[in-house]
Amino acid sequence: MDDRLKTKFILNVVLLLAVALLIYWGQDNLNNFQIRILNLAGIFAILGVSLNLVLGFTGMFSLGHAGFMCIGAYTTAILTMSPRSKEIIYFMEPINPVLANIQWPVLPAIILGGIMAAVFGFLIGFPALRLRDDYLAIATLGFSEIIRIVVTNTITITNGALGLKNIPSIKSLWVYWLATILTILIIKRILNSSWGYAFKAIRDNEIAAEAMGINIFKHKLLSFTIGAFFAGLAGALMAHLITSVDPTMFRFLFTFQILLIVVMGGMGSISGSVVAALIVTIGMEVLRIVEQPMNLFGVLSIPGLPGMRMVIFSILLLLVILFYRQGLMGTREFNWDWLINKLSTFKLRKRGEAA
Amino acid sequence: MINLRRGKFGLLMVLLLTVSLIALGCGGSEKDEAAENGQAEADVIKIGVYEPLTGTNAAGGQMTVEGIELAKQLYPEVLGKKVELVIVDNKSEKQEAANAVERLIGQENVNLIIGSYGSSLSMSGGPIAQDNGIPVIGCSPTNPAVTLDNDYYFRVCFIDPFQGTVMSNYAVNTLGAKTAAIIQDVQQDYSVGLASYFEKAFVASNGEGSIVEKVNYNTGDKDFSAQLTAVKATNPDVIFAPGNFLECGILVAKARELGITVPILGGDTWEAEEFLNQVKDYQDIYFSTHFTAEEPVTPVSTIFLDEYAKAYPDKPANAFGALGFDTYILALDAIERAGSADPEAIKNALAATEGFEGATGIITLDENGDATKTAVIKKVEGGQFVYETKVDPK
Repeated sequence: MDDRLKTKFILNVVLLLAVALLIYWGQDNLNNFQIRILNLAGIFAILGVSLNLVLGFTGMFSLGHAGFMCIGAYTTAILTMSPRSKEIIYFMEPINPVLANIQWPVLPAIILGGIMAAVFGFLIGFPALRLRDDYLAIATLGFSEIIRIVVTNTITITNGALGLKNIPSIKSLWVYWLATILTILIIKRILNSSWGYAFKAIRDNEIAAEAMGINIFKHKLLSFTIGAFFAGLAGALMAHLITSVDPTMFRFLFTFQILLIVVMGGMGSISGSVVAALIVTIGMEVLRIVEQPMNLFGVLSIPGLPGMRMVIFSILLLLVILFYRQGLMGTREFNWDWLINKLSTFKLRKRGEAA
Repeated sequence: MINLRRGKFGLLMVLLLTVSLIALGCGGSEKDEAAENGQAEADVIKIGVYEPLTGTNAAGGQMTVEGIELAKQLYPEVLGKKVELVIVDNKSEKQEAANAVERLIGQENVNLIIGSYGSSLSMSGGPIAQDNGIPVIGCSPTNPAVTLDNDYYFRVCFIDPFQGTVMSNYAVNTLGAKTAAIIQDVQQDYSVGLASYFEKAFVASNGEGSIVEKVNYNTGDKDFSAQLTAVKATNPDVIFAPGNFLECGILVAKARELGITVPILGGDTWEAEEFLNQVKDYQDIYFSTHFTAEEPVTPVSTIFLDEYAKAYPDKPANAFGALGFDTYILALDAIERAGSADPEAIKNALAATEGFEGATGIITLDENGDATKTAVIKKVEGGQFVYETKVDPK
């Protein structure tokens, strides 16, 4: 057994090195467009994994992710914009003097974005998590809209509906994918701790979990707050990727995009969420081909139809729902045991054949 | 058996992902090929267009693209080279708009970009174009922040401050208003921007306290009785209510039902069929816009109107189509003046644009890249939009 743990450790290190190498290669060899798409995929992976923690592992149907992203994005935007930019962008009403001259480095600002979102997650979770199922979904959806409307109306802080621009831009694959990998590792660790077991127990049967002595409310709040933290982090990264934010970005429709990733990848599977995030983001760009005017063998010419890629995507999603009711990965994870077992049975069979 | 099918489907999805990755990767090699075939490429000038063709802003984006395509049919060549339009959809989403611009620059190697309807979409595309040194001309993003601090972004429409000021001057000078009430959609940058500049100009003419009431609503609201009752109680001389045609149509009709008879003023978004249907039984409704069919401002307007009627016989010409048309011909004009398809040269030529005759008026681009040009004021009368007057910039 020790032997196997050792192999797994080595395999993990090799995998991380391989990913690092891939990022290193990508940074030098991909063009800006491809890097941007991959960065966006990384952000969606963080969002997918964090929503999965709440929805797939703790069984809370929360639709508040867009609101938490909004908090993260605005926090980092306000903290990192240069005082000169602030002066010209807040042209309707001047910015609150307390914030006017603040300029933080990017990294602490992004982390504070996550922390702010977690604080709000905690405050919202406190009353909302007394609800269950659909009621919780409606309550969190409502809170996420409230966050957006407050942001729209606090003009001296957020510049209201006009939005903010000139947020320092980050283009490196490293930043986004390092954040993604860290998120995955941290959430993986949490899920394998006693907290994680409590989360899953609550998901499977709340009453039974309570009877076993699990503090339901505490663990629900914990999961919700951690989910909010990573949503805020992703929102902050998104602000630096796009370099401008405005409240209409974070409408509740955005949450459904994340939900799509979670359902497609499998509720309760981290690797599923990551794979689905990659498929959705990259697929969306690749499928642009079907919207361009096409000429089939010089016989049939089709004019460009905007919206075609969404149709294809809907069909794909239907297929997933029909044939793969639990999403691509279900509740399974990518793991080495499975691979090693496969390999060793293969080896054994081979040996058997030889004998 | 079921397991087998699942396995196959999983395999299919993995295959799809792999194909996607390869296709994304292939984009790069295509580009290299294009660079190798530089000779062949040089015969074509590529103009990228990113507009919302699906999603919440689809209607505006489609009208704009119609105008751009119409202009391309009329003027398919510049500097003896063919113009190729690459039109991509930005789904009315910010991250998609950023992807779209990056794609136009990185994969399609365009010389110039046109777009986008919606200021927030333009703001997410702008910095990418700036970093890559590709000029962009906006058709109808009216938020001042779009061109702010970005030397590569230009636009052919006038901006919110100008429109708000024009309506305020019209209210004061022509309608003789001493007091005004503002009803704004706090979620729309457009509405908030217009209202803020209307207020500034109105207070400058009539003094503090002349804005007797300022009430808010949110995009998607359907009931405005509370706001209108509050406004009615203060009895203003005019009401300024910039916003989406959908909400404003309901709002204006409701105001008249409640017995508010004072003139109601708005912005260019009101020029839509849906708005007219709501308010066609009423009058004293005024709004500013970019363009009028009754009073062609320049010879180009006449060309645009004739061609539009030919191409789309069942649709009345609209301001967004006209702006799209103008953007394209301005782009061609700039390329001609630059004498090459080099983005930097085009940018410098665009920045020097002065007295350019477009379908929507005579366009001069100021130091920010914003157009200063004539605004048109229209009113609703006898169930139609009627030309009222035009206001020249000072």
